[in-house]
Amino acid sequence: MIRRSISIVVVVGLGLGLAACGKDSSKTGSSNGATSGSSGTVASKLIMGGSAEFKTRANGLPGLKKNYGVVFGKYTVTDTGGPVTVGALVNGQIDAADIFSTDPSIKKYGFVSLKDPKNNFAAQNITPLVTKSKATPGVEAVLNAVSAKLSQQALVDMVSQAITDKEDPAAVAKAFLAKNPINMPGKASGVSLSVGSSNFPESVVLGNLYSQALASAGAKVTDKFNIGSREKYYPALKAGSINMFPEYNGALASYLDNSTSASSTAEVMAALKKALPSSIVALTPAQAQDNDSVMVTKATAQKYHLVSIADLAKKG
Amino acid sequence: MSGFANEVSSSPLSFWSYFMDHRSADLQLLWSHTWLSVVPVVLGLVIALPLGWLSNRFSWSYPPIMTVSGLLYTIPSIALFVLIPPLLHLDQLSELQVPIALTVYSVALLVRVVADGLGSVSEDTRQAATAIGFTPLARLLKVDLPIAVPVITAGLRVAVVSNVSIVAIAGTIGFQNLGNLFTTGYQLSSGTSPYYPPIVLGLVLCVILALALDALVILAGRGLTPWRRAARG
Repeated sequence: MIRRSISIVVVVGLGLGLAACGKDSSKTGSSNGATSGSSGTVASKLIMGGSAEFKTRANGLPGLKKNYGVVFGKYTVTDTGGPVTVGALVNGQIDAADIFSTDPSIKKYGFVSLKDPKNNFAAQNITPLVTKSKATPGVEAVLNAVSAKLSQQALVDMVSQAITDKEDPAAVAKAFLAKNPINMPGKASGVSLSVGSSNFPESVVLGNLYSQALASAGAKVTDKFNIGSREKYYPALKAGSINMFPEYNGALASYLDNSTSASSTAEVMAALKKALPSSIVALTPAQAQDNDSVMVTKATAQKYHLVSIADLAKKG
Repeated sequence: MSGFANEVSSSPLSFWSYFMDHRSADLQLLWSHTWLSVVPVVLGLVIALPLGWLSNRFSWSYPPIMTVSGLLYTIPSIALFVLIPPLLHLDQLSELQVPIALTVYSVALLVRVVADGLGSVSEDTRQAATAIGFTPLARLLKVDLPIAVPVITAGLRVAVVSNVSIVAIAGTIGFQNLGNLFTTGYQLSSGTSPYYPPIVLGLVLCVILALALDALVILAGRGLTPWRRAARG
């Protein structure tokens, strides 16, 4: 509470100071709407929250400034679209947040996802990665068949079952495959491979999904779920100690090449294929995505008439 | 509210029903947590015994050995988990990196204890043992070490209990142990409604495990020093 009031005082003080010395120097529309030009915009009154990495990465704060001229009054480091970020947004410690588009809390709390017409955020399709030596035509066919059934709604539903209903990720994946059978018995027989996942619910569900599909097609599958971050699992994938991983194409592309400006699914896939070593194959991406998005509460959206990220750069 | 609608309670007290729902997975975590806590202490003791003896026998080696082992304990565990695979050319996902790191910590804790335990043997006792014909090795094994058992046991209790807590940290970087229950609870929390059951279950199991291992060390210490019981009557 004290911290919150201090930060409000600081933000208000900063805002007043900036407004006093830089009155009407704003050129919000232009790409050059730098720090002093952001005074008086909606964004300058707001506190944005997200991961430490969002603050510096190309399509994080720098991208919002470059593409929309949006500069927030303050940035508070929370977690990567997790409970801390959501809680801070609900409790009003932050006004806007980087929250991922499949998060069930969006529906639960009625958050408004601001539109991104300039495609600042890259595509984040679920994209299976496979060790080249394990990518037999049969394995590829099974994985592609799963990806083909992975619509946006299907992903959102499964994540909600895992997080909101606390269902077991393996059970969620099993139920999905029962409803969307791939029917390829024996297609991947004779192949033994290990399937990994990161340690957040959506990734574990996806790991289970591809793993169970491969097993149903006759592959001998070892599960290595709940591996930590990309820094941990990507080297393991590269070294071949895991053979299949459900990745996000945009995130991996920018992890491998920090300077990439690829945005659409096609651009991202092209960039990804260029950046991946020859030992790893990226298969056809699913339609389902889990994008970064700038999320605000309904009250904030109504107060400042926010629909798109560009609206944050308007005079508030 | 929404928790009840889905018949899954988020109350801290429902950890028991969480356990019953995920019994086999939780027992698996408890088992790997147990061996990850115990094996490094045993290995650590095996390494610490000669080092401790050395620093007790040759007093010039005491300060450097204690300084180095003390420094080892200050390395943050996450850093150690991340450093070990490249240093030892292990696979990033190798299960070995956790017990190796914990062995390092156990050695750090136990070297001083072994040295001080051996140092606690009185000069009179040593001379008496030598006088009745013990060779230096036999004296170490049959006189000095048994007398040092209570001190070493005290150190082992600290090492094993602190391992139980450090193992949980390895859970946050994806190794299977009770620490996973904490990340699970955190990730299934949504915004304003925390999901307590796995977190509380992890805490309860860690405490039970620590108490059980501590009791085992005490029992082993008693078993090795029957004369103390006799003295107490």
